[in-house]
Amino acid sequence: MSAFSSTDAETGAIGPFHDALHARYVVELGHRLDSPTSYEGAVTEHLRMSGVYWSLGALSLLRDADEVDASMGLRGGVDGGGEENGGGGRRMRRAIVDWVFDCRDPRSGGFGGNCSGAAFGVGTPGTATTTPCPHHGHLLYTLSALQILAMANALDDERLDKDAVARFVSGLQNPDGSFCGDEWGEVDTRFTYCALSCLALLGRLPIPRNDGEEEDDAIVDVRGAARYVMSCRNFDGGFGCVPGAESHAGQVFCCIGALSIAHSLHLLNEGRDGCDADLLAWWLAERQCDSGGLNGRPEKQADVCYSWWILSALSIVGRVSWINTSRLGQFILNCQDDEDGGIADRPQDMPDVYHTFFGLCGLSLIGHLEKIGNREGRTYREVDPVFALPTDVVRRLGLRAQVISYSNGDVEDRLKMHSILDGTKASLK
Amino acid sequence: MDFADLNDVEPIPQDDGPEPVCSIAYSPEFIKAYDYLRALLKADERSERALNLTTFCLKLNPANYTVWHFRRRCLISLSAETDQTPAIDVERIEKDLDFADKLGGTNPKNYQLWYHRRALLEFRFKEEGDILQVAKKELEYVDKILDDDSKNYHAWSHRQWIIKTLNKTELWSSEINYSHSKVLSDPRNNSAWNQRWFALHEGKISSVYSNDRSAVLSLEKAKEEASYALYGADLDPFNESPWRYLVGILMEQWRSAKRGRDADDIAKVTGLIQENIGKIREMKKSWEEKRPNDHSSGSSASLLSALVDLLEIFTDAKESLTEAKALLGKLMLEDPVRRKYWLKREKHITKLLVSIEQKENNAV
Ligand SMILES: [Zn+2]
Repeated sequence: MSAFSSTDAETGAIGPFHDALHARYVVELGHRLDSPTSYEGAVTEHLRMSGVYWSLGALSLLRDADEVDASMGLRGGVDGGGEENGGGGRRMRRAIVDWVFDCRDPRSGGFGGNCSGAAFGVGTPGTATTTPCPHHGHLLYTLSALQILAMANALDDERLDKDAVARFVSGLQNPDGSFCGDEWGEVDTRFTYCALSCLALLGRLPIPRNDGEEEDDAIVDVRGAARYVMSCRNFDGGFGCVPGAESHAGQVFCCIGALSIAHSLHLLNEGRDGCDADLLAWWLAERQCDSGGLNGRPEKQADVCYSWWILSALSIVGRVSWINTSRLGQFILNCQDDEDGGIADRPQDMPDVYHTFFGLCGLSLIGHLEKIGNREGRTYREVDPVFALPTDVVRRLGLRAQVISYSNGDVEDRLKMHSILDGTKASLK
Repeated sequence: MDFADLNDVEPIPQDDGPEPVCSIAYSPEFIKAYDYLRALLKADERSERALNLTTFCLKLNPANYTVWHFRRRCLISLSAETDQTPAIDVERIEKDLDFADKLGGTNPKNYQLWYHRRALLEFRFKEEGDILQVAKKELEYVDKILDDDSKNYHAWSHRQWIIKTLNKTELWSSEINYSHSKVLSDPRNNSAWNQRWFALHEGKISSVYSNDRSAVLSLEKAKEEASYALYGADLDPFNESPWRYLVGILMEQWRSAKRGRDADDIAKVTGLIQENIGKIREMKKSWEEKRPNDHSSGSSASLLSALVDLLEIFTDAKESLTEAKALLGKLMLEDPVRRKYWLKREKHITKLLVSIEQKENNAV
């Protein structure tokens, strides 16, 4: 850590932002991955569900819902390009929503990362050529699937058996409150976040009652889930993947996000003489490197995706201002590919859709997208730090998590639909 | 792979559309193998040839979780029938641990590989024989990985899982030595500091927060650990890990004593904290003397912050708080990136000081 000299970033000027390039990058990426000659497509095919979510999420922050539908083909197929691949003319791509339903694993009730082992959704419209053969259901992909359906406004589609998905999720909870990712039993706080977020999206989350009574018919033990999360907190204020595991910014987001959805953020400060939301936030603030970017653990390199993991957690606990947002914004902008679009993990690296999405989320959470929009006469949608969805989607679905207000009692406008824990009380310092 | 033993299987191609599946530049076998695999998966054929096919498919793409999952199902089905509980033959487990090792190379970041080892070991630990030896061998494997990438998150988690699962005194104490060797080779390795905490507390939930005081270190142990942290910090005061460790150790003592409400305990812990505050002041002085002209980094924010954390424990001690306030002023200047954070802390201390003064005035 050292003192920084004043830069453009601090005087408020925001560098160039390649809106059109990014939108094109995301849309074309879908076509590229579908191409049977794509190596990238082949080795990432098992997690295509998350890839589609990141693409859709990224485009949703850049464009309004109708434009996203038209260029990504959410509900209707789109021209998938691909003439250059040889073969029988241009290909039509199946609607994303239809493909998501193909990925439902009827055996477990969850969603797999892809189906048929095929490149995503390729086929002739209207002709189901093979019966879908989905990968086995996993919480990570079940959440991505529901997030996609949420953005496509398709959570009420009759093909979605909400009870079956909710049973899948609740069946993965262990007696200690933790969740496994799938039937094989790997436990990780990431899955606690996925599980609670899934149930919230399905409208099946039992929120603990204030009177302390447990709901008898609750499908999951939300208090137990929150208690498990708290058991993963370390002496440095951060959280790891299981009790005792080193603090890691990605896990911090999952834990804070889970507590937020479970309306249990008060646990951060329970029964002690100091404010541990402060200790946590200080650990997060220390992740800012000289480059302005954020790292995930001490002494690791800064990486654009941590802009999301750290900012979302800081935003939920009302302490975004503890880092230097101008410098962070500049770091993210420096990671743009100014020729082909997309955002990379760090300057000069190859962009990918994961970092593109989380980079845009970061720019949104620090208000840079809004400022860029004002400069360029556009309105950008905002991202919700709890659900990682555009705020208009969260509002439409009536999702209500919990956030901590700033120490002056305020919250960012984008968080106003959530339940607000008084930051003046949450902070004992 | 020549797929000869699969000639009775009807492969399921990935795309049955009107176009032929394009030839793939990198490997036509990739497509073929996965076509066969899809067919065996659908038929749920858990056979020796299915196992061999998963070997081939995983070599092509070790991140495919469905294939790993299917592989374990094959291993269970192919193993000798025990009673009702699924098991995998010890020999097959050993062979598969080896397979995962070779597949991962020297730097396995892929989660599936680690998870596979763990799933296999879960079976192995239930078997007869010298389990401690099995655990030690696995710890050696992880050590080899950490030699190459000393902060590999999966590797450290894997070590923790092994030690916690076996819960043997011998493993807990050897892990303290292990983390020490890792701190020595790189004092900035935060994973190693975390592992030290983990091993000392024998995997119990961080007693900084828990009301359960059974995991709290003894005062003597805490004293040793505080010295250890300061020794680490003195190597490099700009390293945040030992500072956080120090504050964690002392905070645990303080909170536990407060919860116990024993005046004697509280006095002893107060003494320990004061002693450490004194040592940090000295360290600060000597570092400032060493680097007198380097305004921006003459003192480390981690050092100053730890000092503030400890001074602030004594919420009714005017001198302590006044010193903390001055340090926060310094931090606001020297660490402008986090200025708002320091400002907030300073305001809090100012509030405490004001209320002390009010009390004093009322008393007069
Ligand atoms: Zn990254």
